[in-house]
Amino acid sequence: MYRIRLHGRGGQGIKTASQILGTAAFYSGYQAQDFPLYGAERRGAPIVAFTRISEKPVLERGPISSPDIILVGDETLLDDPQAAPLCGADESTAVFINSTLETSVLQQQLHLSSSLLKLNLTELCIQHLNKGTVLSTALAAAGARLVGMITLEALLKAVDAELSQQGIGSIQENLNLTKEIFQNLFPVVLKPRKEKTISPSEIILMEQANIEEAAPIILSPGNMILRKTGNWRVQRPEIDYEHCNHCLICYARCPDGAISLGPDDKPEIDYDHCKGCLICAQECPGHFINTVREAGVES
Amino acid sequence: MTALAGKYKKLKDLHPEEAITPGTGLCAGCGGLDGLRLALKELGENVLICNAAGCFTLLSVYPFTPLKGSWLYTTMGAPVPAAQGVRDALDIRLQHRELPDKEDLLVMTVAGDGSSNDIGLGATSAALHRNLDFIYFCYDNEAYGNTGFQLSAASPYGSATQTAPNTEFHPAGTEFFKKDLFEIWKAQKPTYIATVSPREPIDLSNKFAKAKTMSGSRMFICMSPCPTGWGFDPKESDLIAKLAVDTGMFPIKEYFEGQVTHTKRPQRRLPVEKFLQRQKRFRHLFEPECRHDIIENIQSHVDEYWSHYE
Repeated sequence: MYRIRLHGRGGQGIKTASQILGTAAFYSGYQAQDFPLYGAERRGAPIVAFTRISEKPVLERGPISSPDIILVGDETLLDDPQAAPLCGADESTAVFINSTLETSVLQQQLHLSSSLLKLNLTELCIQHLNKGTVLSTALAAAGARLVGMITLEALLKAVDAELSQQGIGSIQENLNLTKEIFQNLFPVVLKPRKEKTISPSEIILMEQANIEEAAPIILSPGNMILRKTGNWRVQRPEIDYEHCNHCLICYARCPDGAISLGPDDKPEIDYDHCKGCLICAQECPGHFINTVREAGVES
Repeated sequence: MTALAGKYKKLKDLHPEEAITPGTGLCAGCGGLDGLRLALKELGENVLICNAAGCFTLLSVYPFTPLKGSWLYTTMGAPVPAAQGVRDALDIRLQHRELPDKEDLLVMTVAGDGSSNDIGLGATSAALHRNLDFIYFCYDNEAYGNTGFQLSAASPYGSATQTAPNTEFHPAGTEFFKKDLFEIWKAQKPTYIATVSPREPIDLSNKFAKAKTMSGSRMFICMSPCPTGWGFDPKESDLIAKLAVDTGMFPIKEYFEGQVTHTKRPQRRLPVEKFLQRQKRFRHLFEPECRHDIIENIQSHVDEYWSHYE
């Protein structure tokens, strides 16, 4: 069985990627299972999806902790301790990263025992689809090629089926994108995995606590600022201060209040919290807010 | 004199303090969050929010809260009974001098359109009957957004939702027109009612500034463009909000002392297609073939509304 884990952000099409991958495997004559996992958070927050592919019926359930292939759609997740996309990767794992960086640079930063592959999927999406924010087709195509036994025909059929079902236009562009990615990558040879035995953890006995201590009361107002949402961004807004005329529209429009006013009413973006919705860039009357792709493992 | 003797004229006049911090788990580009942020800028920190289950459940996720004021979480049907309880408790304790006057709080209900139009409407009606002294903030994204965008009584005719998709037998998707919550509330003659849009921050701030000085039930419906549920790029949130006003689909108005005043009138109403065609939830009205009949129904519904005011 191949166990594949996909990482990305809500809105990037990670769930759809896992579906395309599963469907493509099914069309190639395999059994497949795919499902996403996400918490209460939304578009922009880290999400993970899983695909299992096997010749026999897939009886295994639940998240994949020891993946054979990890597909990372968004490299800004690499240093996110909560998303931890590389968790469970060992020498039998192949890690694929959508990145602008060279493989050697990534390897140097990540110190992986796994085999490491990369391709700039975002760039290819921009070329074919005119936007680099939705990676569903691209990531599925990369995964399908790396697994090896999925044929291009089955993959194209799966892309067509899944995207049509979701009412997505530009199918031909997505098919062209699929072909290009398929030709640019090669199947990986995975070392056989030594199955680890899992022992049950000790049971923790819970004790009755006083209601004052046990009730979920928060006594520190405004402490949400400690949580950073800056890594939700795929693109970053940058204010061109040479031209900015301090009209304050970006400040009024930012839903998260991540734009504050400095001295002389100068708008300042709080990059620790800006989620990258880009309303500010869209609404700036003079178009003095530029958008730049977020990339690179921040060292 | 209209109810709106505008305190604010330009964006520089907005209250400089934020009463809500960044860092929440709400979607990037959430129109409702901007509405609440601007409202709380005006209302300040001395507010106790009774929050119905819904998207804004994500405001406060234990052990974090973005609010500088207080927050009480309730079920979807109970934010208004909770507000009544809190108001009564405050009043009784103030009356018995158990609390100094400065400890008094403005009680505010924050609820989505599902809670406001469906599950919680009975309790709201009861509170309006008693003229409960509170502010009600309904963020209206026209469906149950938090659970994956299922039909609510605020979902507009012609929109597709998870539970009202367009099918051969239901070509419009949602087959009923949106409930007119403004008129339902108005029938009970509360102190003040207003519709607001985050795209109109000065109008919004003036309305909350005005409401803050009043007592009794003060009701707000906030247009809340929802990138996730409506299906548009988050950066277009304010563009969608603007088109909702410019097409006349979302009238910006207020009710005070028996009078309804439109505070932001569209100069020349745009055809409703301008609003519809940018959203995935209305895509079936344009593809695979254009459903002129359904679009025409939406247009005439809007025209009918404005025929009373133009």
